[in-house]
Amino acid sequence: MKLLIGQILPYITVTLFTLGILYRLGRWAGARIIHNITLSPWLQNNTQVAVRIGSEAFLFRNLFRFDLALWAGAFLMHFALLNILGGHIVGFGFLGEQFALIPFLGITPELSKEMSDLLGTVFGILLFVALLYLLYRRLALTHVKQVTRLSDNLWLVYLLVLVGVGNIMRLVPAFHIEYELVRDYIVALALFQPVVHMELLNSGFFLTHYLLVQILLIVFPYSKLMHLFGMFAERWIVNRVYHDPAPGLPNVDVAAARAAGIGVPADAAEEGV
Amino acid sequence: MPEYKGMVQPVRATPEEMRKIHIEPVPDEQKPQKALEYLDQIRKKFRSFVMAMESCTKCGQCAENCHTYLGTRDPNNIPTNRAELIRKIYKRYFTLEGRWFGKLVGAEDISLDVIEQWYSYFYQCSQCRRCAHVCPFGIDTCEVTFIGRQILHWLGITPKLHASVGAAMEKVGNHTGLPKPGIVDTLEFMSEEIMDEFGVEVEFPVDKPDSDIMYIPSSADFLLNPYTLMGAGMFFTYIGANWTIPSTVTEAGNFGLLFDQYWTQRGNVMRLLNAAQELGVKKIVWGECGHGWRAAKMYIPSLADRPVRWPITHIHDEIADLIRKNELKLDPSKNSKPVTLHDPCNYVRACGLNENMRTIIRAVTTDFREMTPHGADNFCCGGGSAILFDDPEMYQRRILLSKKKAEQVRATGVGKNGDGILCAPCSICKAQLYPMVEEHELGVEVKGLVDLVGKALVWK
Repeated sequence: MKLLIGQILPYITVTLFTLGILYRLGRWAGARIIHNITLSPWLQNNTQVAVRIGSEAFLFRNLFRFDLALWAGAFLMHFALLNILGGHIVGFGFLGEQFALIPFLGITPELSKEMSDLLGTVFGILLFVALLYLLYRRLALTHVKQVTRLSDNLWLVYLLVLVGVGNIMRLVPAFHIEYELVRDYIVALALFQPVVHMELLNSGFFLTHYLLVQILLIVFPYSKLMHLFGMFAERWIVNRVYHDPAPGLPNVDVAAARAAGIGVPADAAEEGV
Repeated sequence: MPEYKGMVQPVRATPEEMRKIHIEPVPDEQKPQKALEYLDQIRKKFRSFVMAMESCTKCGQCAENCHTYLGTRDPNNIPTNRAELIRKIYKRYFTLEGRWFGKLVGAEDISLDVIEQWYSYFYQCSQCRRCAHVCPFGIDTCEVTFIGRQILHWLGITPKLHASVGAAMEKVGNHTGLPKPGIVDTLEFMSEEIMDEFGVEVEFPVDKPDSDIMYIPSSADFLLNPYTLMGAGMFFTYIGANWTIPSTVTEAGNFGLLFDQYWTQRGNVMRLLNAAQELGVKKIVWGECGHGWRAAKMYIPSLADRPVRWPITHIHDEIADLIRKNELKLDPSKNSKPVTLHDPCNYVRACGLNENMRTIIRAVTTDFREMTPHGADNFCCGGGSAILFDDPEMYQRRILLSKKKAEQVRATGVGKNGDGILCAPCSICKAQLYPMVEEHELGVEVKGLVDLVGKALVWK
């Protein structure tokens, strides 16, 4: 088990994930944007395009405008997820001392570790709660239930288990895992060194969490999770710069036409219609 | 065939009618296989379609934002579920997840029943793009129903209404089958009407060589919405324009957009370019027609088989421009009844006409009240994409599809005294709303925007 999940699978996962993403992006790029289906009102320049796509991608603008409850759930979920992914990278990378590296704030390494712990705990719980809410929506709201397929619910359950195991490691002291263990493991893996003997792999919770992540990454390119990239590809079709052709009619002089009384019958012109 | 296994369906064109628009109907037993072939061919071409197939997360946001679902509460009328009718086939044959985990992700084998589902539900979609407008990713279900209808058309399944319009367009250049003598007669009659009602002399030049402006009216304006065409004639006369109407293209609409974006739509585009070249015009100005304006403004550049030498604008663009430059003398008190504006979907979500319509309506009316929501957020009239079917089952559907619009109009209060005006500057909206304002007893009269302009012009 340790050999499979800890030593062999990670390389397979990274390969399949990368190739899969490339395959999917290539598949999208192979089809063309045939007609101009930009949504109006028109965006006038690329700054506006960036602001629109950015506000949809990072603030979920449309959900905010049309369904506040969904916005709250989806935004919380993704915001917590983003922070947790970032937290994994900097937390393990700098052993929780990342905030001490920010200049001029005077944060001590000890304080940074505490902040790291606190943020990880908060976002871990938030993510779990937000996922629960999204699952509740799928089961309880008629119109959402009507669009939900079995796989949509299974994905949420899968993520709940994945996040749940992560939270157990963070919240239950007995199963807690030190940053150093993970960092050393990742470094060894990146250097293609044997890792099977490492202490980290003795944790059943870690192995479970790690396996679930790897399966997720392998399936990712073939699943609905690709909306991460899909949303940008779709927005790139419907949010583009468009300039209207200039108005103005050739050889039209309204003042002259009115002065000449065009359209006004000769007799009526005298009476003053 | 008004129903198939409990699904409403528009009456279809007969095989003879399909042959008139160059389609040889595919026999039933070959339909599933052929449908797959066409789908495979088309999916490799349109990224807008691929993205709609592959990036939906089923968040459900589109449901309560679609007037067809709000009106019918039929789950298949939720935009993402409507797209799912084709997505389940797409998944089954063209994706790994569908091939390996079919049931789990809702993949399904192709069958005649599925094709019949397409026919029922793709022709309940108004292709209004409100779902694209509200979708967090911008997924455009309109692109899915366009392609669904295209595949159906190639299979030989097209509503009688759309097929006959396609045939008429090819034969005479307009949707109503009106030949040139009829056009000239009607226009002469309109000149007389204008003289009687407004006391001004307006001529409608047809095929006048060396005109500067070619005006493309909706053919419905000759019969159903005469005041729109009369308003346009008065406007062009008022500004002293050297204009003409081409007898070969007396049609702002292009039903090709709605059922056959290949031959039918392209044929109409080329017909227009021929007319512009023959008459030697400098600019093309479009009349009031929603889908037609989208087809002209957004699709001519990608469908024309030779360079387009003429700028094309909408008559609202030109009127609004002259209003901003203060060149038109308008008397808004000529339109003093309470007015509300129905934003045609194609104008506000696909053509950017939002502001110009408001510039005009504010200048020509005294009691203008906005609907909620309005502009790009507006709901469709329920007739969008010409699902104006008259057979009893589909007509009942149309009443349901216009329910949301009726609520919106009622909420403005313009029809409270039974003398309100519902300005709907699009021929399909007008055709849908004329009967629907009666069905829903809204106390309003449906009018175009150019109608109101014509009335408000001060000639002297």
